Amino acid sequence: MPTALGAPNFVAIAFFFVFISITLGITYWAARRTRTAEHFYAAGRSITGFQNGLALAGDYMSAASFLGIAGLVATAGFDGLIYSIGFLVGWPIVMFLIAEPLRNLGKYTFSDVVAYRLEGPRVWVAAAFGTLAVVSFYLIAQMVGAGNLIKLLFGIPYEWAVALVGVVMLAYVLFGGMIATTWVQIVKAVLLLTGATMLAGLVLLKFDMNPLALFAAAAARYGDEVLAPGQLVKNPLEAVSLGLALMFGTAGLPHILMRFYTVPNARTARTSVSYAIGFIGFFYLLTFILGFGAMVLVGRETIQGIDKGGNMAAPLLAEALGGTGFLGFICAVAFATILAVVAGLTLSGAAALSHDLWVNVVRKGHAPEHEQLRVARGATMLLGISSIALGIAFKGQNVAFMVGLAFAIAASANFPALVLSVFWRPFTTRGAQASMLVGTLSALILISLSPTIWVQMLGRPVALFPLANPGLVTIPLAFVTGIVVSLLAPEARADEAFPAMQDRLHLGAN
Amino acid sequence: MMAVYFGFILLVAFGKPLLGTLLLPGLSLGTLLGALVIVSAWVFIWIYVRWANDHYDKTVASLRERR
Repeated sequence: MPTALGAPNFVAIAFFFVFISITLGITYWAARRTRTAEHFYAAGRSITGFQNGLALAGDYMSAASFLGIAGLVATAGFDGLIYSIGFLVGWPIVMFLIAEPLRNLGKYTFSDVVAYRLEGPRVWVAAAFGTLAVVSFYLIAQMVGAGNLIKLLFGIPYEWAVALVGVVMLAYVLFGGMIATTWVQIVKAVLLLTGATMLAGLVLLKFDMNPLALFAAAAARYGDEVLAPGQLVKNPLEAVSLGLALMFGTAGLPHILMRFYTVPNARTARTSVSYAIGFIGFFYLLTFILGFGAMVLVGRETIQGIDKGGNMAAPLLAEALGGTGFLGFICAVAFATILAVVAGLTLSGAAALSHDLWVNVVRKGHAPEHEQLRVARGATMLLGISSIALGIAFKGQNVAFMVGLAFAIAASANFPALVLSVFWRPFTTRGAQASMLVGTLSALILISLSPTIWVQMLGRPVALFPLANPGLVTIPLAFVTGIVVSLLAPEARADEAFPAMQDRLHLGAN
Repeated sequence: MMAVYFGFILLVAFGKPLLGTLLLPGLSLGTLLGALVIVSAWVFIWIYVRWANDHYDKTVASLRERR
């Protein structure tokens, strides 16, 4: 099948310019409202539950979800669904354990909560280290993905694509802060949900609106095994480990956690998660249809002929069903998806640098408002430029494992410290520090010894550590480290501050 | 939620032929259970939000008044 992918597509370029002008218009509007650090990091706490639900969905559903999972289902069948489901199941954990305490205890970052009753700069440094590790790997993966995708979608050179994404994202975050980032994420979520729904609707029209007829057609063409677990997750331990990292990683992603500060109170934080789960769950159910639709209507051979990873399954499906015009629309949606996610990541990384490290460590919590804002913008610049540089430096590398790495670090460095700090009274400063450092380092070390690096990238016959996802080892290790270190050296002040923290956790700041 | 999800993951890990069983033409047990995991997340969240809005918030409000 001939495809217009990769050739300059006028509909795509037109949609792309419409999206850029609308979002830059929003940024201009937001920039005039961004006067304090609270506006910059938390949109003045003025976002409603419904808006934040959409923005959370826009922050979370990356190009990896849309293009990657659709491609995975199209090429691997049922195994792709394991990811669809895994990316959703962390959200109830966010709801039950994280969202409301975070809103009531913190100010701008999740480190606020970890450091709430603990002492001194060491906790801030360790928490910022965890945040920056997650953000860096996630950003590299997104930037390299963006470069490759935009090259495939629009036919422009890789370096230009990376620079374009970096510059537009910088414009949003630098001038419009969290207000602009939120609205870019909302626009993106609406576009993505609309595009995916239209695409799934067009697929189902070919099968009398019956998904089972679609699945049956897939089984008829490629065999019944496309509907059963297959080769992707061979080792049972691997399946459990991947599941753990996806589940608890979501609850430790700094750019997601930061969104809970943009709403006025804990009740709105709760409402926003319930909307987010509605949208995200609906989207992942659609990936079932999109993936199998592409498998049947485009064909595995065509999809893998264009990109081995299968990332072009959804755009090719759009072209097969709606022609070049619809292809252009879906390409523009994919681009918007990438921009919204990198903007959220950059903002949370900038908050770790400026709020956690500069304001709380260097200035010991006392920095005038205008200085906080200036440092936050400086940190944004720094992150934006380094993400462009890293995106270009990692050109041609297989960086898919970096998303897994980001989830593994989030699950083992951020999540245990957050939960222990909020719910476990004997937790201490040293315990928090040890747990976060051990979580980050063990995830980094075990991934660098994993089959992904040793077998797939270095071509060795066996890896030093058997699992591609280290979550099964590193999450319990981080919990145990935090608990043992805290019990070995109790800390009276952290213990005494616990009841007051529990009060505030339930009652809020006022 | 964790029980539901890890039940599903353990089936993926250990019960591959079982999940491949076709209940109807086109519908394998695995696909059905997968969709149900997502639906169950919705149900748990709905129950929690109902409980929190009706009971938890009222308790918190009365505690706040007493202070």
